[in-house]
Amino acid sequence: MSLSLKICRFDPEVDREPYFQEFRVEIAGHQTVLDVLLEAWRQDPGLSFRRSCRSAICGSCAVTINGTPRLACQTLIREIAGNNGRITIQPLAYFRQLKDLVVDLEPLFDSLKAVVPWLITRWDHDGCMDPGVSRRMESLASCILCGVCDAAFYNPGGTKPAAFVKGLRLAQDPRDVLNAARLRLMQVPPEILKLFVKKMPKVCPKKVKIPEI
Amino acid sequence: MLIHEVLVVGGGLAGLMAALTATEKSDVAVLSKIYPTRSHSGAAQGGFNAVLGEDDSIAAHIFDTVKGSDYLGDQDAIEVLCSEGPELIRELERMGVLWSRNPEGGLAQRSLGGAGFPRACFAADVSGHVVLHTLFEKVLERGVKIYPEWHLLELLVEEGQIAGALVYDLARAKLEIIRCKVVILATGGYGRAFAKTTNAYANTGDGMAIAYRAGALLSDMEFVQFHPTTLFGTNILISEAARGEGGYLRNKDGDRFMARYAPQKMELAPRDLVSRAIFKEIREGRGIEDKYVHLDLTHLGEELLQQRLPQVKDLAARYAGIDAAWTPIPIEPAQHYSMGGIRTDIWGMTNIPGLLAAGEAANVSVHGANRLGGNSLLETVVFGRRAGQTAAKLVGKEHWPSLSQTAVSRYLEPWNFLLAGRVQGKQDDCPFKIRQEATLLMTRQVGVFRDGAELEDAVKRLAEMKERYRRLTPPSGEQPYNYGLIHYLELGYLLDLCELIAKGALRRTESRGAHFRLDYPGRDDRNWLCHTISRWGEKGPEFSDGPVSVTLYIPQERGY
Ligand SMILES: Cc1cc2nc3c(=O)[nH]c(=O)nc-3n(C[C@H](O)[C@H](O)[C@H](O)COP(=O)(O)OP(=O)(O)OC[C@H]3O[C@@H](n4cnc5c(N)ncnc54)[C@H](O)[C@@H]3O)c2cc1C
Ligand code: SF4
Ligand code: FES
Repeated sequence: MSLSLKICRFDPEVDREPYFQEFRVEIAGHQTVLDVLLEAWRQDPGLSFRRSCRSAICGSCAVTINGTPRLACQTLIREIAGNNGRITIQPLAYFRQLKDLVVDLEPLFDSLKAVVPWLITRWDHDGCMDPGVSRRMESLASCILCGVCDAAFYNPGGTKPAAFVKGLRLAQDPRDVLNAARLRLMQVPPEILKLFVKKMPKVCPKKVKIPEI
Repeated sequence: MLIHEVLVVGGGLAGLMAALTATEKSDVAVLSKIYPTRSHSGAAQGGFNAVLGEDDSIAAHIFDTVKGSDYLGDQDAIEVLCSEGPELIRELERMGVLWSRNPEGGLAQRSLGGAGFPRACFAADVSGHVVLHTLFEKVLERGVKIYPEWHLLELLVEEGQIAGALVYDLARAKLEIIRCKVVILATGGYGRAFAKTTNAYANTGDGMAIAYRAGALLSDMEFVQFHPTTLFGTNILISEAARGEGGYLRNKDGDRFMARYAPQKMELAPRDLVSRAIFKEIREGRGIEDKYVHLDLTHLGEELLQQRLPQVKDLAARYAGIDAAWTPIPIEPAQHYSMGGIRTDIWGMTNIPGLLAAGEAANVSVHGANRLGGNSLLETVVFGRRAGQTAAKLVGKEHWPSLSQTAVSRYLEPWNFLLAGRVQGKQDDCPFKIRQEATLLMTRQVGVFRDGAELEDAVKRLAEMKERYRRLTPPSGEQPYNYGLIHYLELGYLLDLCELIAKGALRRTESRGAHFRLDYPGRDDRNWLCHTISRWGEKGPEFSDGPVSVTLYIPQERGY
């Protein structure tokens, strides 16, 4: 099947503003948006986008596909090619575009710092943990820092959703000195929290669930 | 010019562990071609081996590893691996790793192939991911300087000693010199030398090739592990945990064919054996559509799959369109792990003073001719920490090596030329084409089954491809995020490594572990109980034999 891809191009040193370039690619069966991006790259080695694992675990390939932030390697063509075989790929919204589909990730990694993103281990921790307690944190711990949620809900000035997930994961950890006090530290207003709880599992490629707190 | 006492290249488990250790006593920076959390360590599903249970023993772990390695593993290094393991697993627990628990609240353990005991600690089936993110958190806590999306291009060796590194910042498209006393290479494996591989796109063996070009010894490069269960087509890994939890392998007649190859261990025999068994089934006409076999999890039940193997279930659904609870998964073997690497001693030291290596990039050698599941994650943290300790010690002892302005210009010269201008359109003989041909050749002729004639042909054709590579015009790198340039550079590394793998395989006229010669099907301890050592030479690689450390266990027949 032949597919038309519209890819947002931008080279800050040459282009005054971003523009779309059209690629035609042939695809077979069970392919992902990453596969077609790679095919487009073969046609134009100057095209820039990030990727590594191709199995939705490294978090590199988050882009906007037909208007929605997603992982390219996790998105099957047949899931989205509904609109007459056309696919539009843009960089993640709310991130600064550096080159084509590559965005500036520093704000994502910087936003973590606000939640003290490491365990401060209690001195009396004995190495044991209730299996139920541990299992409850698994969903939050599966975050791959892909940035999709930060591009899905804009929370200017406040704790960003990806950082919130990290903070919440640590706030639930019985080994942590700060533990529940982390919730106060993060100061997420109730209406934003509600939005996260409701929307996160829908946008997050790892289906991270934010528990009601 | 940038200055750090210790430069760690690689932000996977080995690199981060080394950095965390060295930072206690020295100024450390981590340079990584992708953001550390994107490293391939994050894809590991199965777990970390370590002896925790009272009925298990370190001696048993050592023996399983020695036997699994087909007696090519260095037993002094294996002793270190197995005895430092338990302490490290507990340390990771204190750092915040969310290990899966047993009902008593201790760490749960599962069986992986080749082990005599359920010995792998795990975090559901995202073990590597969870540990990688925890180490990354600790690196943030310690304020270690990170250079994300910077590429190592060349090691600076002055008067026989490491003086720094020449690196490339992908975002700014700029060359930089980093002066340092110690470089730790933790750049991972060379999976992408093969067309069919479970490895990520970033796994192009850069560190090994760069060290080789700088005069470091590489060893046992011909030993390449093929994982038996990867999704047919995409080669995305289906974790050994699927068999550890009780999955069956079946051929087109529905037979559990492993009964004929490893009657005792069955599906949990070591990977080399299982991969060969699968190919044999397919070759002899018992494959499905003559191409693959089935991994059957349907008898395990939906609940167990959801709880213990959620990622396996997910991957099968997404990338093969299959519900593993109801339908068997089509699988085929594919390249998975690079046993060979930069030769180091048990403290991570190479033959070049100031150059250390750890993790999959190194060959210390704990895996010998075949790695056991769960041992390489353990290796990354055990030997990552040791490399960090060694680096801290060296920094205290060594003076700053001299690095004159003329030397710097000499190093920069060839690369300056490379970075001029902008990417040109298509070339006739593009790097994509050469890469595709080379990796297909490796999978077909230097793969699970090898023989003299095919290897000789592969060596010849690889030499031709190297020649074609030399004639390419490099896609110059003045623009930011020039992945075309990176692809070109990676192809250069891969071609060097392919040559070493193929020549090493041709030279080794025996079968041992993952290296299987149809024309020499037996293990030959008289002539080949030795490491293959390779070194860069003007006219191509120079090979020699290196001794294997045998401390406890005399080689025996390997039955499973
Ligand atoms: C799918 C899969 C599942 C696995 N499961 C298991 C398991 O269950 N148990 C087990 O024990 N092992 C497992 N393994 C093996 C194990 O994951 C790896 O051997 C291990 O994670 C390697 O870690 P590392 O730190 O050495 O390298 P990596 O994690 O690969 O990191 C390499 C680092 O080097 C950097 N780098 C590379 N080249 C350059 C360059 N030129 N310049 C700058 N930086 C560079 C990269 O950015 C990256 O940060 C698995 C492997 C795969 C492929
Ligand atoms: S919470 Fe989900 S969407 Fe957000 S960064 Fe993590 S994995 Fe990505
Ligand atoms: S390539 Fe790793 S998440 Fe898509």
